[in-house]
Amino acid sequence: PTALLLHLNPFFFFFSKGNRPKLIKKTTLTMTSRPLVTVYSCSGEKSGETTLPAVMSAALRPDLVQFVHTNMNKNNRQAYAVNIHASKKVVAKSWGTGRAVARIPRVGGGGTSRSGQGAFGNMCRGGRMYNPSKTWRKWNRKINIKQKRYAVASALAASAVPALVMARGHIVDEVPELPLVVENAIESTKKTSAANDILQSIGALDDVEKAGNSKQLRAGKGKMRNRRYTLRRGPLIVYKTNDGIEQAFRNLPGVEFCCVDRLNLLQLAPGGHMGRFCIWSQAALEALETIYGEGGKSIPFATMTNPDIARIINSDEVQSVVNPMKDGQKYYAPKRNAIKNVDALEALDPYAAAKRRQEAVLTAARASKKDEIMAKKREQRKSKRAFKEQGKAFYEKVSVQGTVCEDGFTIE
Amino acid sequence: MQSASDDMIWEVINHQFCSFKTTIGKALSDKQHFCRHPYSVTGLCNRTSCPLANSKYATLREDDGRVHLFLKTVERAHSPKNLWEKIYLSRNYTKALAQIDEHLQYFPKVLIHRNKQRLTKIHQYLIRMRKIELKVRAGKKAKLVRVHRKVEQREERRERKALVAAKIESVLEKELTERLAKGAYGDIYNFPESPYQKALLGAEEEEEEEEDEETEVATDEEEEEMVEYVEDLDSELEEDEEEDMEDAGDYMGDGQWGARGSDDDEDDDDDDTNKEGDSDEDSKEAKKTRKETGQKERTKSRNRVRRRKGRPTPRYGFDLNFICIMA
Repeated sequence: PTALLLHLNPFFFFFSKGNRPKLIKKTTLTMTSRPLVTVYSCSGEKSGETTLPAVMSAALRPDLVQFVHTNMNKNNRQAYAVNIHASKKVVAKSWGTGRAVARIPRVGGGGTSRSGQGAFGNMCRGGRMYNPSKTWRKWNRKINIKQKRYAVASALAASAVPALVMARGHIVDEVPELPLVVENAIESTKKTSAANDILQSIGALDDVEKAGNSKQLRAGKGKMRNRRYTLRRGPLIVYKTNDGIEQAFRNLPGVEFCCVDRLNLLQLAPGGHMGRFCIWSQAALEALETIYGEGGKSIPFATMTNPDIARIINSDEVQSVVNPMKDGQKYYAPKRNAIKNVDALEALDPYAAAKRRQEAVLTAARASKKDEIMAKKREQRKSKRAFKEQGKAFYEKVSVQGTVCEDGFTIE
Repeated sequence: MQSASDDMIWEVINHQFCSFKTTIGKALSDKQHFCRHPYSVTGLCNRTSCPLANSKYATLREDDGRVHLFLKTVERAHSPKNLWEKIYLSRNYTKALAQIDEHLQYFPKVLIHRNKQRLTKIHQYLIRMRKIELKVRAGKKAKLVRVHRKVEQREERRERKALVAAKIESVLEKELTERLAKGAYGDIYNFPESPYQKALLGAEEEEEEEEDEETEVATDEEEEEMVEYVEDLDSELEEDEEEDMEDAGDYMGDGQWGARGSDDDEDDDDDDTNKEGDSDEDSKEAKKTRKETGQKERTKSRNRVRRRKGRPTPRYGFDLNFICIMA
């Protein structure tokens, strides 16, 4: 039922109604009890529990996240353009027809090699480019606020799914739980060494190491444009109040941080791909419940609460109402490859079975004769070797300085 | 979690991005997707073998000659550290198979099968490794078989060209039609269609001409009587006719062809006046000539062939001599 999946998939809904995402103001979560998330201490032990905020169960919308990300990414661009006067500082006029030259405007005057050369065209040397870039190009993009919030909510939900975090490329094999919540003391770390220890005890250091090992010189001109190195992204640390956390963690490669109140999609879904590895402080996670929810930003809802279509189709409620299966349905057995499948070959080729039997008989016969043949071969080899030895011996003898065959020679 | 069902995860991974997915092959037809995830059972990237998109999963991994079974269940899906349950398997192959059956009792059958396959492969390569090691210790150097890319590419190229040059389909076609024409397939013959159809049309026209002549004569004689001659299944005539009708055997008269055995219905329906009554003289002639041509007897087995109603089926051989004689 892949076709069904397409139709009932929230993505399809997205495209069928234009770019209008579906938002419901009230939190109408069917389950009143939400899963508990353990809070870990800075030394890696379990130190408490909180409930998972409703945002983490929002609809996963990779298409929307990608759309919003590509547009958001354009917003920090700086304008570039060619010089407006480029190539225009020439007085050039076309010579017209009748002079056996192309009709391109040519530089007037004389006395230099420049005179008579073509000017002003994109094909001319020293001419302006085709469609010169202008500073008034539209660099930034407007995105609807609801779409932006929807995308952030979706990205947050994805960060709580271990499979997606792993698929995105983060190394989270040692992490005890996702979403990873640490007690509030993390917000007041002052030293980077302490930060390192904390990450190690939570199991997040592998990701940081991966980022650190991935530091490479950038390919291309970015090197000389203050973007010398490229790096993988490590964990994103989300806090509520900055009590030194930024300074402690900022020197660790790949680590980024973000305040809950200012969640950034470009950090939550780098490259447009959902599932960033996030480390939450307890206060930050709990703040999410107030930021997203009733009275705050709306949480997007999927069109289907239960997207497991196979299960729905096979459920009793549906099967009891469905028409009975039609009789006389033709079922074709899968085609069997006659080259790989012996039964298929024998069905096609009536001689194949006999041939196989014969081969088996022959190999058995050969096997029994194998010892004989081997013994024979060994003998042959031996006699050959002996023969060669004679030749060698003769050659040695003969290579000695002196008269050849003084005493005569014999071959035995 | 509502939002994180397996299907949803697979949608995201498959269509968006998965860091473990690699492809080989440039052309769309050649493309194969592989999964570099260390816990994947098969190395392929598809819905059933994705360790990320299946909350209930099992793999085998070999470490230093020992094989372990790794299990993954929904209950531990939130905790990556404790995700995989490691079970030591016996070194004995059959015992290990039994262990797999026992531990994967309630897992999908596909997974059980794949894991067993993987176990077999692992044991096979371990055996091979041991053999090579023994040889090395005995003094023989381990054979390092190299892959020469130029050679491989050259051979591939030549294979492709040879395949095209062989023209397998056309050779097969020729061979099969030859055999058909010779009659190696029982009573199915193959004759070129257009001359056959032409000949058929010719025969029909001639038949019609004959019929016209005959009907003229008939109406003179039997003006008022509209007698319908219905075929009598038990009649001698019919038997004779059947025998004579042999290979030209699908010919029912009236320029109609079809499989004889299933003809009983059609025969009853048809007004076979011409067949039985009027063309007696001609039929007698025809009988003689049919006998002259000396064709073999029909068998009932031919009647299995399904006919196309109304249209002559060129399935059975049509003897051109037959037409000329009828004229």
